[in-house]
Amino acid sequence: MGFDYSSLFAFILFGLTIGVVYGIVALGISLIYSGLDIVHFAHGEIYMFGAFFGLVFSNQWGLPYPVAFVLAMLCAAVLGMIIERVFYRRLTKGGGGYTVAGMGMIICGFGMSIVLMNIAFLIWGAGAEPFHVDLGMPFQIGDITLPKSYALTAVFAVTLMTVLHYFLKRTKIGLAIRAVAANKDIAYLMGINVPLMISLIFGLACGLAAGAGVLIGPMQSVQVEMGYLMLMKAFAAAVVGGFGSLPGAIAGGILVGITENLGAAYISPNHKDIYAFLLLILVLMFKPSGLFGVVARVKA
Amino acid sequence: MSKLNKTGTVLGLAAVMGVTLSTFALAADIRIGITMRMISENGQKYGQMVMDEFDMINKAGGINGNMIKATLMNDECKSDKGVANAVKLVAQEKVHLLIGSSCSSVTLPIVDVTSKAGVPQLVPHSTNDKITKKGSAWVFRVPVSGRYYAGVNAKYVGENIGKKIAYLCAADAASQNDCEAMQAQMKAQHGVEPAYTAQVQEKEVDFRTHMQKIKNANVDGIMIAALAETMARALIQSYEAGIPASVRRIGSSSASNSPVPKIAGDAAKGVFFAAAYAAADTRPIARMFNEIVKSRYGINSPDHDFSQAYDLVRIAEIALGNADLKLDSASLAADRTAIRDAIAGVKGYQGLASGPISFCAEATPQCRDGNRTAVLIAYSKGGENYKTEVLARVTMPIDFGL
Amino acid sequence: MNAVASLLEYPSSYIEKLGNIHRILPWIMAFVVLLPLPHILETTLNEYYVYLANRICIFIMLCVGLNIVKGFCGQVTVGHVGLYAIGAVTSALISLHLGWSFWISLPLGVFAAGLAGVIVGLPSVRLEGAYLALATLGLGESVRIMIAVTPFFGSSTGLISIPSPAIGGFVFDTYRSYYYLVMTAALIGIYLSFSILRSATGRAFMAVREDTIAAAVHGINVTKYKLLAFVISALYAGAAGGLFAHMPPGYIHHNNFTIIEMVTLLLMVVLGGIGHIWGGVIGAIIVTIIYDQTLEFYFYQPLLFGLSMVLIVLFMPRGIGGMIDRYLVTKRFMAIQEGKSNGAS
Repeated sequence: MGFDYSSLFAFILFGLTIGVVYGIVALGISLIYSGLDIVHFAHGEIYMFGAFFGLVFSNQWGLPYPVAFVLAMLCAAVLGMIIERVFYRRLTKGGGGYTVAGMGMIICGFGMSIVLMNIAFLIWGAGAEPFHVDLGMPFQIGDITLPKSYALTAVFAVTLMTVLHYFLKRTKIGLAIRAVAANKDIAYLMGINVPLMISLIFGLACGLAAGAGVLIGPMQSVQVEMGYLMLMKAFAAAVVGGFGSLPGAIAGGILVGITENLGAAYISPNHKDIYAFLLLILVLMFKPSGLFGVVARVKA
Repeated sequence: MSKLNKTGTVLGLAAVMGVTLSTFALAADIRIGITMRMISENGQKYGQMVMDEFDMINKAGGINGNMIKATLMNDECKSDKGVANAVKLVAQEKVHLLIGSSCSSVTLPIVDVTSKAGVPQLVPHSTNDKITKKGSAWVFRVPVSGRYYAGVNAKYVGENIGKKIAYLCAADAASQNDCEAMQAQMKAQHGVEPAYTAQVQEKEVDFRTHMQKIKNANVDGIMIAALAETMARALIQSYEAGIPASVRRIGSSSASNSPVPKIAGDAAKGVFFAAAYAAADTRPIARMFNEIVKSRYGINSPDHDFSQAYDLVRIAEIALGNADLKLDSASLAADRTAIRDAIAGVKGYQGLASGPISFCAEATPQCRDGNRTAVLIAYSKGGENYKTEVLARVTMPIDFGL
Repeated sequence: MNAVASLLEYPSSYIEKLGNIHRILPWIMAFVVLLPLPHILETTLNEYYVYLANRICIFIMLCVGLNIVKGFCGQVTVGHVGLYAIGAVTSALISLHLGWSFWISLPLGVFAAGLAGVIVGLPSVRLEGAYLALATLGLGESVRIMIAVTPFFGSSTGLISIPSPAIGGFVFDTYRSYYYLVMTAALIGIYLSFSILRSATGRAFMAVREDTIAAAVHGINVTKYKLLAFVISALYAGAAGGLFAHMPPGYIHHNNFTIIEMVTLLLMVVLGGIGHIWGGVIGAIIVTIIYDQTLEFYFYQPLLFGLSMVLIVLFMPRGIGGMIDRYLVTKRFMAIQEGKSNGAS
């Protein structure tokens, strides 16, 4: 029996479509890391909230899918900003990353993730909710069937990337955000409203996570517990692509997606979820700056 | 704050009235402890139904004049929490009867707790074979054991669908057991090995790689053994991957739970599975039960969570009614033994589950897997107002699958 | 001169020994005081509280171990439950499949966890802060998934009927008898953590925590001490895991080792006080008791614990232990001030 290339193609395609979603969440995590020097462990729950917002807007209020998508992103961004302003600000003021405050931030993030999960449970209950979006017949490529939602995901992801890139590189606010990410003190001296920019970074990151949630809703139903696994994969994606590097995050996401699908297809289907971690650990051990990465900063 | 106040008041009262009075007040209660996964949809429904039924028994005058005092606890489907709950119910609440748990992986250790403490235990929802194989004299299973489900499924599949079956098994104890038992039965009855088998995480969301491989394997049927939400996702993705409807989807017993048709929608159509109860059952008792559930909870087609909760309460009611209970502080051990013997004496209870449920005294799976009738059910329509049809109803021989 | 020296040697070494006994004495006293606890609990309350005491002792071992790597060496690890799982599964498998006694399987479990500790600790050589947190998180979660999908490790059914430990004819199969085992282990654990932290090793840990580069400049082998901290904490986790596995009813399942358990441990350590020597102990006791008291509010329990975690980090970063420290320091300071003013007048 010859090697089945069409299946290989299918596996890569599956990895690609789910990988982009990992990438979008990873983008937010990377953004927060480069801007605030912290790892946000409650990001998976923001993603979950985003998916629920999308579900409410689209299925309960009957708004069209793209409108629900944008609205959910906005709502999650506001939610993220509130959380950051009320809770995280005290910690990030003390400096993140390698300091004791950095450790506090990790614990705080875990706490926040449990809080958010419980709130979502109290609002929406434990059961999974179907997220019906009628997009029409799936595409047929050879003997591979590709539902439209997957194609849509890829399109949205690319659009998001482009907009974000343009926003960061071409606008004044984007420049200010990059300045804050590079050095807060100097940015402050240059007259940039650093606290506002930090809020903005956080809001942007949370909006991205929510976008990913709305994208994945129609593919997988929406459930309170959905955030955790996504967070893990997104962490892996962010690290593999180089923590703090934005294009790296998307590339890392795709790489993680493809790795786990190929691993499940050709090595052992039982260990699908471990491949992402394996990749994460290997990259961290041998090339901590990531495959596409910026140089990891070391405290001096 | 109010909790603290309450505790303070209670302590104050106890100090004033003395301990004798409080034990006297407890004397007329039959204490029942329930531990279940309450942070999930089917756990909530099940817990609600059991508590409501006990309430109704109390309102109707209790059992032989004794009131039931039920304590419901949450174990989150975690064995350590389940064990903690069981110990608490047994040692602190001093329950006469323990009901638990909804997860096989929690029921398994609790069996040891109840057998050591000598407390009768009714298993409400766990199907794993090993629960009754442990040889505890105190455990009784109300749902159908996984071994019977597998036998019915395998027979139907081999005769009507084909012998080339792919298996997708989630890593929770019930699904794992259903999957393994099914594979063993297919081998025993038809002599075939699985065409494809993969184990996935309990809450896996992406099955496309598996589906692609299953599609290439050209199977006659796919067995998807998982908890309700996971199964629904897998069903949808099996159609998305382009596996035609002619390849039948076989569910594990949790396919009976309402999230499957609700989430999977059209993808649920044609899925068949063995469960304990079908809402499409035409017998009058089942019609009546459907009406009760509809008026009480507004649910059109109750799944076997509801029916098993109902059956469990009825069995408990019969046994407690037959047991000779003294219900004072000195007779706890004697009462527990009396209840155990009374449950073991339940014979031929005609419940909502389509066959008779009988227990007996020996601590063997033959005696303690009381419900041997599996119903083969298929979804004829998915979505919010899903419909089921009954394919077959089989009462299995007592030694089957041991 | 020599003769005098040799003459003096004996009594001085004897005095040294006495000094050591003096150091152990409070622990022996604590042991004696804690011995009748299950009896008291069972007669005044009931067996459930003995069970809780068992759980608390196991949590104490986990928290004390976590505090060494986290509080004293300053390494952010989120993979502690993975090591706990390795200890539990190894010990359980050895006693189930090889039929060896608990007294052999437990040390082997501890050893396996220690080896895994080296692996979990290896990234710490190159990584810091957030990166290390992610690496350990990945490792810890991988361990759990491995257990969940491999039938040999128990898979979804879990490992059933793990035998209870026994000495001769005496079997530790009730919570009351098992308490002596876990309590002794927890006390030894706390004692060892004290003696490690008061030794040169402990001071090296703290130097690494405060400033890695400065520590290296002062001749501390940073790599060695980071790894050592991970291995020591892994040994604690392994022992706790082994004790958990053999505790009646002798059952372990992969969902006993999820991220939720890790968060609970973090909460305990943070509440008790990161880097405070009694921190883990205080946290383990308080959290277990509060958890038990709020059992009936299960819908809101995660909210309570999550929120208290966030608020503790924000407003009480040194935890209860830190508050006690501050109180004691203030008191001592006040006493000195008072003494000064008394002397002056």
